[in-house]
Amino acid sequence: MATHREASLPTGKFVDPTPAPAGSAHPEVGATSAPLKSAAFFIGTYCKDYNEDFMLCKDENSDPAHCLKEGRKVTRCAMDLITKLRENCEKEWEAHYKCLEKHNQEYYACRKPERTLNECVFSKLKVEKVIPGASNTPIHLRENTIYN
Amino acid sequence: MPVPFEALIPLGLITGFFGASGILFNKLKTSINEGQPPRYGLDRWDRVMLDRDYRLTGTQRGQSHQTSAPDGFSTNSAWTLESEHI
Repeated sequence: MATHREASLPTGKFVDPTPAPAGSAHPEVGATSAPLKSAAFFIGTYCKDYNEDFMLCKDENSDPAHCLKEGRKVTRCAMDLITKLRENCEKEWEAHYKCLEKHNQEYYACRKPERTLNECVFSKLKVEKVIPGASNTPIHLRENTIYN
Repeated sequence: MPVPFEALIPLGLITGFFGASGILFNKLKTSINEGQPPRYGLDRWDRVMLDRDYRLTGTQRGQSHQTSAPDGFSTNSAWTLESEHI
């Protein structure tokens, strides 16, 4: 029920007690929102094929049961990249996402840790942050910005 | 003529009370958000992600960069109930 509206004047929470169908448990990404936002562009470059497969599949039919296989591939690719980031660039990643958490998860406020993270990921994992459709110099490569 | 220090007393009181309530409010906000400033301008995506963070870590603003989710994650999602509107 993706179009279900949020509850207004909520009174409580309900956890469905019926057990899940057998064989429906699959590994899920364990990263929370700030690490994912920090690694978002890298996930976009690294997992481009699987992500596009999933989006095209959803385009055909928005029923959740239709795209489970492509969804599992997307999850596996993201988990693969997170494992690689943990092995190679964990400190820079942590610094960037902790900075994001202090600034309402806005990119503009955390360019310095982002620069070190981009350099580390490019040198060790050969993944570059690319903003698709950027016309002039992309914002993360500009030297003189207001907030730096 | 010497400076009328009695006139500065209410000024000091007002400043002190404003400052004290401001500091108290700041400490309250950071204690709710585990030492960070509060999130603002949240849309539905952000609210859903915040709920997912709570399901993953158990705290309101905790973050983790684990590869795979803990075992309870697949079964601890909850529907929010609302009372009947007429």
